[in-house]
Amino acid sequence: MAYSRVHAKVREYDVFARKTRVEPLRQVGSVVAPDDDLAMAYARATYDEERWVEMMIVPRDAVIRLWAPGEAES
Amino acid sequence: MRYAEWCIAAPSLEADIAAAAMGLDDIGHSRVLYGSLRELGTPDGADEGGYANVPYLDKPWSDWAQFVAANAVLDSAFTLMIEALANGSVEVLRSRLKKMLQEERYHYLHGHSWMRETKTGTAIERAWRESFEWIGPEAADVDQLHRDGQLAFGVRDLRRRLDERVGGAPPAVGIDWKKWDPVRRRTEPGGIDQATLDMLQGLAEKRYMPSA
Repeated sequence: MAYSRVHAKVREYDVFARKTRVEPLRQVGSVVAPDDDLAMAYARATYDEERWVEMMIVPRDAVIRLWAPGEAES
Repeated sequence: MRYAEWCIAAPSLEADIAAAAMGLDDIGHSRVLYGSLRELGTPDGADEGGYANVPYLDKPWSDWAQFVAANAVLDSAFTLMIEALANGSVEVLRSRLKKMLQEERYHYLHGHSWMRETKTGTAIERAWRESFEWIGPEAADVDQLHRDGQLAFGVRDLRRRLDERVGGAPPAVGIDWKKWDPVRRRTEPGGIDQATLDMLQGLAEKRYMPSA
């Protein structure tokens, strides 16, 4: 997806978090930022409505997709 | 307060949200610090005319570069002082200020990243000068508190750590310490405008209270 942002070059990051140790991490949203530092600051500011015990971000371009909705597993 | 003013004016939606969140964090930090003062025996109640702030906060910022310079430099100076208190000998502060430091880490990441791509110009010089003024001169109150153990760092240490944290050599800032006000921790006269001060002290909200 194309973004019109003030930064010349940005990456998309998916944000994962969980509220208790026993539950799995789940995707709670995403942020767009030019670097990891700002992505961390944005993720924490944007998704701090819950008392998370863990939060992490992953650059979307680091994720290796096996298949997507509508595609059959081959 | 100045952060909050940018919650719909920052360059991107994420930066808007970050400005609002950092403003909220800092209001929370003020409450913790005021609560700690009460426990340390400081009389409660409004100290009329005694409000002190760095001159950088006297007026709203008109440019994002001012936000970034304050976020990267002044906020880091305040955080270092909180670190000095959290690692000092005052038990109330040792136990209460740790969460503030966790939250301030994200303020630092925000300011530091924006510094890399914002031309901060004169704003950065001003932020450095006022940070040094706020820390104060050597051999004065901060160094005395350090010698007494209440602050983990003295003036030289605070300045050095600020250099390291912000990165890049600080500009040469000549400070006329003869003009320095040890209570307000600034050399410039003036202060925040009355309307903002009323809002900060909760006085502006009183007009919405039902009359008895």
